[in-house]
Amino acid sequence: MEKLSRAQTQTIEGNGGEAKAPRRLHKKLRKNDWELLTMVWLGVLFVAVFCYAPLFGIVLAFKDGNNVLNIMNAILYGDWVGWDNFRSFLADGEFIDVMLNTLGLNSLMMLINFPAPVLFALLLNEIRPVRFKRTAQTISYLPHFLSWVVFGGIISALVNTDTGVLNALLVRSGLSSAPVDIIGDPKYFWGLIIVTSLIKGIGWGSIIYLAAISGVSKDLYEAAEIDGASRVGRILHVTLPGIAPSVVTFFLLSVSGILNSTVEHILVFQTQTNLSRSQVIDTMVLQYGLNHGMYSYATAIGLFKSVIACGLLVASNFLCKKLTGKGVY
Amino acid sequence: MAKRRALRRYTWFDWFNIAFMSLFCFITLFPIWYVLVGSFNEGLDYTMGGVWFWPRVWTLDNYLVVVTDAAIWKGYLVTIGRTVIGTVTSVVFTSVVAYAVSRRNLRGRKVYYWIFMFTMFFGGGIIPYFILLKTIGLLNNFLVYVVPSLFSAYNMIVISVFFAQLPDSLCEAARIDGAGEYRILFTIVMPLSKPILSTVALWSIVGHWNSYLDSMYYVNDPDLYSLQYVLMRIINKSSVPTNPGVTLPPSLYETITAKTVSFAAIIVSTIPVLACYPFLQKYFASGFMVGAVKE
Repeated sequence: MEKLSRAQTQTIEGNGGEAKAPRRLHKKLRKNDWELLTMVWLGVLFVAVFCYAPLFGIVLAFKDGNNVLNIMNAILYGDWVGWDNFRSFLADGEFIDVMLNTLGLNSLMMLINFPAPVLFALLLNEIRPVRFKRTAQTISYLPHFLSWVVFGGIISALVNTDTGVLNALLVRSGLSSAPVDIIGDPKYFWGLIIVTSLIKGIGWGSIIYLAAISGVSKDLYEAAEIDGASRVGRILHVTLPGIAPSVVTFFLLSVSGILNSTVEHILVFQTQTNLSRSQVIDTMVLQYGLNHGMYSYATAIGLFKSVIACGLLVASNFLCKKLTGKGVY
Repeated sequence: MAKRRALRRYTWFDWFNIAFMSLFCFITLFPIWYVLVGSFNEGLDYTMGGVWFWPRVWTLDNYLVVVTDAAIWKGYLVTIGRTVIGTVTSVVFTSVVAYAVSRRNLRGRKVYYWIFMFTMFFGGGIIPYFILLKTIGLLNNFLVYVVPSLFSAYNMIVISVFFAQLPDSLCEAARIDGAGEYRILFTIVMPLSKPILSTVALWSIVGHWNSYLDSMYYVNDPDLYSLQYVLMRIINKSSVPTNPGVTLPPSLYETITAKTVSFAAIIVSTIPVLACYPFLQKYFASGFMVGAVKE
């Protein structure tokens, strides 16, 4: 057993130096080290199966595996087609729309849904009646706990063209002459996603900033007050700079996710009529791959996305290290 | 100081702030109230519109159709099962790996760390993953809800950061007394780490309870559909579900509509969340901060 464990160490660490344990504990430590290794191997086994094994499936992107009956056969013996799947994705008429939707939606998210919880946390922090503050906070978390299916069902009831309260308001207030089909009409889709995501996520997203705010030293506030700073002045010059590092870190992280979409969210509102503005890369991969059997094509699109996302993550971590002095990993 | 601040008069900013928060709370709560009202209203009457704040024609018919629908209860069973089993197993499994990674004397710690980190950066994508599930026989299998979510690198790192900051002296004493690492983890480290473990457990509970994509793509046996997917099918259906084996009064079908039935289904499937979350969110928020200030 000792030999085996040494051999393992050597393959893992090269000629790693072992810490010399006191003679008396030597045997015991050996056994515990061994147990630790079994623990970590459980995890390695898991990621080997669920994360690393699928990496071999990537070859499908370079093979002819569209509409085949046996995918495993296509992976192992399918004809190589080089970059054909990527080429046909780039030449696809849908490509421009899908990229526009993905980038457009995520950019709007970054512009609106990213700063919103920061602002919300700043405002909530300034509420003075404690009971009211707690209640508002509790209520703001509620939508986070509801599923997108429930949330989607509720929203579509509200905006229904015949019975929804929102359309009745629009028509009665004269803002619109006829009921607006907010879900079915592609031109409202981005707005719908932004607003629903805002309602669902703003309270929950603010938790992390409230934590950062509570870490800002009280002395700074008192000093600012003595210097005659107003409430708003204190928010701008004390609280905001205090939480800036966390804000920068989270922002850079969200930049790397610019090609990721919340599939659960989009699929709930996606219909055949709004497809031109609701189809994003992630939903396209799911539908082409799992609904239409275009395995190779969908794998190629997924790979295209993964490679860009990975690059962005490395780049944003680099920037993060430069700006705040510490990276995410 | 505190007293002076409390005595200070409210400025326009305070009033604006309170007004804004009140409006926000209204926007959050009203939609749920609206659906609740609709679920108690008679279907045919609802189609005329105008049922906003209070039911116009009261009825329990919508709920009668929903609670006699076996699919809902099967969905409940599957969802409760996957939530309980999935959460317990994943917290234990992830903790075991996290403990090993948190130990400085783990040989090759850096290498393992990067093996796990890499999975967060790059993956094969959904199609290769689907092929994997198919190959290992997880499609159309209850285990597809539990096994793939046993471990997540992100949760593992959050937990291991917490483990690493626990004082080592307790574990060292146990080690000298001859305790093995598994025993140390389960009897000393995990009980000391309740804040972070309950946070991760609650992330997992919410994730399991709300998930529907896995039922949509990995399962086609209706008996294995999770609650949210059952609900989605009810919402998207344009006809009132006919519940086989259940005889409801025929007059009920004269006034009922698919829409108000779906409202009742939304409420029925949301009651546990509405009932539990005020108690959970306290945990959640405090634990979340534990995770947030990790570095």
